[in-house]
Amino acid sequence: MTTALTVRSATKIFGAQVALDDVSIDVEPGEVRALVGQNGCGKSTLIKILAGFHIPEPGTAASIAGRDLDFGDPVASEAVGLRFVHQDLGLVANLDAVDNLALGQGYITNPTKTIRWRKERAAAREALAALGYDINVRVPVATLQMSERTAVAIARAMSDRGSPVTMLILDEPTANLPNAEAQRLYQLVRRVADSGVAVLFVSHHFDEVFEMADSVTVLRDGKHIVTRPVEGLTEDELIELVVGRKLEEHNKDSADAREHDEEVLVAKEIAGASVLGMDLTLHRGEVVGVAGITGSGRESVAGLIFGGMERGGVITVNGQELPENRPDISVDRGVALVPAERHANASLIDQTLRENITLVDPGRHMTMGILRRRPERADVRIWLDKLTVKPGGQTEYTMAQLSGGNQQKVIVARWLRQEPKVLILDEPTQGVDVGAKADIHRMVDEAAAQGTSVLVCSTDHEELVRVCDRVVIMRRGRVAEVLRGGEITVDNITAATIGRDAHDSTEPAA
Amino acid sequence: MTDVQTAPAPGSAKPKRRINLGFDKYSGLYVWAVLIIIFSLWIPDLFLQVSTLKQVLIFQAIAAIVALGLIIPVAAGAFDLTVAGTLTVSVCFTAWALLNHRGVVFAAGGALLIGIIVGLANAFVVVKLKVDSFIGTLGMSSILIAVAYMITDSSQIVLSTEGYAPFFEFAREEILGLPRSVYYAAAIAALFWWILEYTPGGRYLYAVGGNPVASRLAGVRVGRIITLSFVASAVTSAFAGIVYLSTIGTATPDSGSGYLLPAFSAVFLGATQIRPGRVNVLGTLVAIFLLATGVTGLQLAGAPSYVTELFNGAALIIAVALAARTARRRA
Repeated sequence: MTTALTVRSATKIFGAQVALDDVSIDVEPGEVRALVGQNGCGKSTLIKILAGFHIPEPGTAASIAGRDLDFGDPVASEAVGLRFVHQDLGLVANLDAVDNLALGQGYITNPTKTIRWRKERAAAREALAALGYDINVRVPVATLQMSERTAVAIARAMSDRGSPVTMLILDEPTANLPNAEAQRLYQLVRRVADSGVAVLFVSHHFDEVFEMADSVTVLRDGKHIVTRPVEGLTEDELIELVVGRKLEEHNKDSADAREHDEEVLVAKEIAGASVLGMDLTLHRGEVVGVAGITGSGRESVAGLIFGGMERGGVITVNGQELPENRPDISVDRGVALVPAERHANASLIDQTLRENITLVDPGRHMTMGILRRRPERADVRIWLDKLTVKPGGQTEYTMAQLSGGNQQKVIVARWLRQEPKVLILDEPTQGVDVGAKADIHRMVDEAAAQGTSVLVCSTDHEELVRVCDRVVIMRRGRVAEVLRGGEITVDNITAATIGRDAHDSTEPAA
Repeated sequence: MTDVQTAPAPGSAKPKRRINLGFDKYSGLYVWAVLIIIFSLWIPDLFLQVSTLKQVLIFQAIAAIVALGLIIPVAAGAFDLTVAGTLTVSVCFTAWALLNHRGVVFAAGGALLIGIIVGLANAFVVVKLKVDSFIGTLGMSSILIAVAYMITDSSQIVLSTEGYAPFFEFAREEILGLPRSVYYAAAIAALFWWILEYTPGGRYLYAVGGNPVASRLAGVRVGRIITLSFVASAVTSAFAGIVYLSTIGTATPDSGSGYLLPAFSAVFLGATQIRPGRVNVLGTLVAIFLLATGVTGLQLAGAPSYVTELFNGAALIIAVALAARTARRRA
């Protein structure tokens, strides 16, 4: 049998950065291969080269079942038999499985161009049955379970579009799946592989690597580190391969308590969205980090604690309770949230920096029933200066006129101006340049020094090391570990976030 | 690759200096001036009359009040298609109450109360039931027309000038040569201008219209703001209904049908003026009088009556298209 995928000397340089450095891999038909590594290790660059989104440097070669791949053309990638399922699945949520499948390949029609629905439905059922799924193909896919939706996406990818499928490439296939559904997906992938198709999947979840993969390829800093069978590999060995060093044992007893002893925010049994149960206490002047892979609950912690969504559990700030779903009350009680995804959740993009910053209490400079612009501008200018927003002092610029980093500074300024008791930051430096990032970290230090309790939820582990006194690690919706003081290193955080649940001891959060 | 240029250091790039005649913000005023000049040269003896100015002001007072009310929910990102329906119900109820000798206070008070109820009902549909505001208020406006038919028993109510003199004074009495209806429009314009430009409420309205999610996470009570905006527009429309009846003296179930599109035209055309990209009071006033001047001039010049709709529609599309182009160039 010819090798399903051969990649030779894959290299890709972005500006001054080598994203992928002379990587060669082979995947055999019927093999399930996991591709693992830290953020920025080159996994997605490799996938995007195969998908035709990036053109690699000259010297790179790839062939699929013996046929050479032309780079930079998604149609060519598909023609040689590569199929991709992205993490967001790419389904149209309000259409049913029949339509979603047909969107990829066109509808079956009779000569008058009328859709032959009965045949179409039968084909959809058949495609899903081949993957071991028996689902209602006539309800909107949004109403299906996540694993069923994944199955629809895979069925669509696997459908014959004039070229036989040689290889299926999945991006984080179980990232959003609860455990039981993940098990179903493992079986599905196994079926696909048993039909002779090679499977390559990118993963942060070590569970799925051990459950699903025959072999694993580790990339680090753009370089190929190792490809080996999963059999005989231990989790610690894999973590070491990914991180690149042997990890020191966590010494939880040595954690210094610092002088943070005054409790400000106490959260008990918080549950909602991807968080299943979490206790958390923030002390005055303390900076606490929350780390975890996507799906671990990390992405929901900020919104749940702030009170922006529905949740169970009890949260008090200085003894006063924060009700769920009432951001206005949370704000009144001194809690502030800089949410992730600034554009959707924080910016008034067409409005001035002045209006963006004073959004929380526009009435501060009101006298005799009139908002006074001059003192408001002066007030806003102070905050723009403090956070070194560029261009400086332009209170009447709209948000759209600023770079991403400066926009984020404006949002941070909005809340620092309120002198909150608790400041919650969700991915505070996402899509922010290095300089702005440093400025934001400096402001976090200053706020904490003045007694604000800060909660930082972040996938940027260096950021957590930089600002945090304590880091809470989330896995599968629960607090799995807490790192303190000297334990807070990038490697330790990374290792803890991808640790397997089987090894969990149930530790209470501090 | 062959032609490498040194990029200017950040911050040193000078913006191109251009003489700014304010075409982006004040294009409406320029067009208005051009229209006045054209008609003055074309039909000087008909157009350049105090009576023409008066006629424009009086005809537009009611339309202006409706449009001003509509600004509030639109600022908050919600459509209110009930403005004309509310006006109609208000007209019919007031006429019915007066005809049945319930007294002016009962009639007017009841009409305003209807406004509050319609506003709350709209808010319930949009905020609580989460129906899209366009669809929700479209449905409500149909219900309101039915209510108007019920009140009038599907016929028209004519109030005789002699019998209801005090009520007619309400809008028709002239102060400094202009009827009171014009002053009402001016007062409402001033009130809403103050609210939108100089109070926290105005900031909240624009914030909710700009990004409801961000506003909510900043502690703004988005549902309450939208509710109040619907109540404001409905009460304003109800008031416009009282002014309408006092001006015209006749109530029918389609009294308000002609006010919906002009109100939307004025608000959206107004959003291209004075504060581009944002619905605003002064821009809306410019839009109303720009359109009225054009239409009046054309009619005086002998154009057929359908020119009103033709001119309104064309002006709206052209103005908004031009504004979209400027916005693209600026971005």
